Amino acid sequence: MKLKTILIVAPLVVTVVLIQSYFWVPSYETQTVGNPSRVEKFIDSSIGDAKILNPIIQADSASSDITTLVFEGLLDLDENLNLRGRLATEWQVTEKAYLAVISGARFIDGTPVTAVTLEQRLRRAIASGLIPGLKDQVMGLRRVAAEERSEDISLPGKDDKAQTVKLHLRIPERIEISLRGVDQDLFEKLIPVIGAQYADSAPYDRWVEVEPNERREAVRSQFPQWVPVFEHNPIIEFKLRKGVKFHDGQEFDAGDVKFTYDAIMNPKNLSPRTSDFEPVKKIEILDPYTVRVVYKRLFSPAINAWMMGIIPEHLLNDVELKKEMERRNISPELRKTFGMRESEFSRHPVGVGPYRFVEWQSDEMIHLRRNEDYWEGAPQYKDYFYRIIPDKLTQEVEFRSGAVDRYSARPHQIARYKKDKRYQNFTSLGFGYTYIGYNNRLPLFKDPLLRKALGMAIDVREIIKYILYDEAERVTGPYPKNTQWYDQSIQPLAYDPEGAIRLLNELGWKKNADGWMEKDGKLLEFNLLTNNGNPIRKAVVTIAQNAWKKIGVKCNTQLFEWAVFLQDFINPGKFDAVVLGWSLSQDPDLFQLWHSSEAGPQKLNFVGYNSAEADELIVRIRKEYDIDKQRELTHRLHRQIANDQPYTFLFAPRATEVLDKKIVMMKKDGSYTKITPSRSGSIYYSFNKWKKLEHVPEFK
Amino acid sequence: MWSYILRNLLQRLVLLFIVSVIAHGVVHLAPGEPTQVDPSNPRMKPEDIVKIRKAFHLDEPLHLQYAYWMRDLLSGELKSFKDSQPVLPKIWDRFLNSLPLFILATIIVWTLSFPTGIKAAIRRGSIYDRSTAFIAYTLISVPGFFLSYLAILWVVAVLGVPVIGMRTFGMEDAMPWFQGMDRIWHLVIPSLMSALGGIAVLSRYVRSQMLEVIGQDYVRTARAKGLPEDQVIYHHALRNALLPFVTMFGFLLPGLIGGSVIFEQIFAWPGLGRLGYDAILSRDFPVILTINFIAAALTLAGTFVSDLLYAVADPRIRLH
Repeated sequence: MKLKTILIVAPLVVTVVLIQSYFWVPSYETQTVGNPSRVEKFIDSSIGDAKILNPIIQADSASSDITTLVFEGLLDLDENLNLRGRLATEWQVTEKAYLAVISGARFIDGTPVTAVTLEQRLRRAIASGLIPGLKDQVMGLRRVAAEERSEDISLPGKDDKAQTVKLHLRIPERIEISLRGVDQDLFEKLIPVIGAQYADSAPYDRWVEVEPNERREAVRSQFPQWVPVFEHNPIIEFKLRKGVKFHDGQEFDAGDVKFTYDAIMNPKNLSPRTSDFEPVKKIEILDPYTVRVVYKRLFSPAINAWMMGIIPEHLLNDVELKKEMERRNISPELRKTFGMRESEFSRHPVGVGPYRFVEWQSDEMIHLRRNEDYWEGAPQYKDYFYRIIPDKLTQEVEFRSGAVDRYSARPHQIARYKKDKRYQNFTSLGFGYTYIGYNNRLPLFKDPLLRKALGMAIDVREIIKYILYDEAERVTGPYPKNTQWYDQSIQPLAYDPEGAIRLLNELGWKKNADGWMEKDGKLLEFNLLTNNGNPIRKAVVTIAQNAWKKIGVKCNTQLFEWAVFLQDFINPGKFDAVVLGWSLSQDPDLFQLWHSSEAGPQKLNFVGYNSAEADELIVRIRKEYDIDKQRELTHRLHRQIANDQPYTFLFAPRATEVLDKKIVMMKKDGSYTKITPSRSGSIYYSFNKWKKLEHVPEFK
Repeated sequence: MWSYILRNLLQRLVLLFIVSVIAHGVVHLAPGEPTQVDPSNPRMKPEDIVKIRKAFHLDEPLHLQYAYWMRDLLSGELKSFKDSQPVLPKIWDRFLNSLPLFILATIIVWTLSFPTGIKAAIRRGSIYDRSTAFIAYTLISVPGFFLSYLAILWVVAVLGVPVIGMRTFGMEDAMPWFQGMDRIWHLVIPSLMSALGGIAVLSRYVRSQMLEVIGQDYVRTARAKGLPEDQVIYHHALRNALLPFVTMFGFLLPGLIGGSVIFEQIFAWPGLGRLGYDAILSRDFPVILTINFIAAALTLAGTFVSDLLYAVADPRIRLH
């Protein structure tokens, strides 16, 4: 019977065809059989796909994994987390400071201030050594004529719509002081000449005009920023590396640096990095290999911003974008907003980095190939694949079957991988930590001692041991533990539930008949929230709830989906306490996280931490250009925050990367050594030198 | 007939419009904003967020946003929030990735279900029938993702070969035959896993259809005529039992776009289901809405086609 035969044969054929395909697929041991070039390819994996491969627009970690290989910045960090030149060979930081001449003000001795007298007095004071230390610092002094300027700014208006406001600024005559280095205390040092109240007599109403005038009050607080009496202009001068070529052969020069800056500031591109470059006043090209960046004000994190990849002007300028619009036949409506975001460049990037872009299949993989002309010498690996595997478990499975070359083990697997003879592993501390944040604005949490008592009741060692399988370290303050900004000498809160009860008793809380802490008829009760989908935070919530119950503190817990959690609780500041984590960088600037001005809705200091001492330190840190002084300040800030306990700082998880033992680091002379991670724990620091050997190497 | 088709098409267009309005409302009113509007990114200032919201038209009232969406969708210039790439080519690329998985899974479901179902019907009450019933109900009740994990772990532990993704990486320089077989192998497990549920359901359905038909008078007549059993079953009974399945082809259509979120997620398959899932997580409204719109259109088209197929296959049915 025909039909019967078909019904039986068809499934058999399908089954046989499918099953036989198995015999052609390579296993871990047979990877190189019939495919010897496998050892020249490195296959990485990631949970999420890249979004946009343009270093000035992207904001996600997958995109930056790729762009750091394709693009290169002027600077980066060496293995000890110090700045190191990449596209810049050297850089120098100097300063020009400006002192406005306030006509109508008077010197301490009563004589009226004019530009000429002010200049004379300053010169005399500096030369005579009346102001100590300035004689060697100051390179020159001159008068700058008054000027007028108009500017448009956009303010958030009604219904979230932007409103444009016109400014007309009359900048008075000023004295320019050129300095060899940056000195944030310069104007305080000038007090013997100009007096401590000099700035108070600044006539802002004469200097600033706002149109429409009804918005004047809304922006009044910014007047001193727009026409400052004291102005610091730090200057960074970069010498650029010569003979570096983009992947398409065009040479890199100063024009590309300026173009990158212009692109970031171009509102069409909606760059998330504008705040890093907003303090830039102007960028001057002195010659094709020298760029001078002048800043509006002291802002030391600005130098780190130059680690961002430089994009090629010749592929992205207006002429090229226009050509692309023609080619792609973009409608006139969309041409108005067409910028780099829309350009095909974002999916076919061209940079100067060690790897050039080949192909991107969304949600599957990104393929890069080594740049043979890389200025530091071509990398060892010929191909780099970035696979997107959204599931942690299958990622591991692919690693074990040899289809991925790197795996970052989860806490419970680390012990097992450390014993596995096939792999080498690297453990590092990373830049993140987890904490319990208290809403410092609430009367309940106002007292640091209460927050301290709550912290003392929690046994963090227990959390680390049972939730993180000992793959975490205790932290005591706001900085990542592997940076120099973290003060290692600060001791964590000791686990002491008895002491916590005593402390609460001292604060007036007494246990009632049911065993709960009570004061003035009110229970010590609050809600602890966290986001759904993070099992570790969820476990921390449960442990904290239980630990507090033991000292008589009543805590209710709830989990919310991330977007809801942010929108309904964190952004409006409507919560009691939350379990959350930060992932930070090597930057010492913590303004957005801890300064009291950043405590409003939608801001990052959502716990409302407010300390005058901390505010001053934070501002000084971002104005300090000297690393040693910065370190001293960050340690003081760390101690201040550790004393105030706005968070109960819990732990920083350790990450462990697992690699095939055959992967080693090549030296220039052709010998090889074990891979060594950088201070931050990143093994990728030396990625360009990695090579996979045919055999397992022996090291002593 | 023609008036039926015309009237029906019009009704479906109105329905499609209503569905799109409701979907638009639900997606926009759900809590959360596109990840680009991210106040927890320390690099962003409120001014930047205002700018981004404006660029995405998120500051306009809902009905205007709907109009913008429709205008851009129809002119083919709709852009994704995530990477500003045009949405339709994006969906098309992913659709092409999902297609082989869908086709193979369909082939597996349809080729395996019929023999199993027919045999179970013929040997009703036998051990074979009972054990297939047991297996079918097990497959229906055990979640697919769980079986997939077991299958993956088993394959990797026992066979030691990669199973995730569309192919093994690092094989670009190997012979084309190896590469082709590698691609087929990577299809096997995910399509088998997504077919399992289908096989279980469809084979039970085939069985019950066959049983119903075998009990009919004309089958008894055929047997009484002295026809061989095979001819009775495969010629007289099966043909009549097939009738309802003709219409099921219509329902396959929406399956094309829905893809299979869970299996694509587990097997890292860069298909349409994952595109939609990621779009939902990052609140990429244009992508979510467009996939939803196409799915709705295909569902309506599918039911329409199956109505027509019914009329073609079964002479007793007339459309008015």
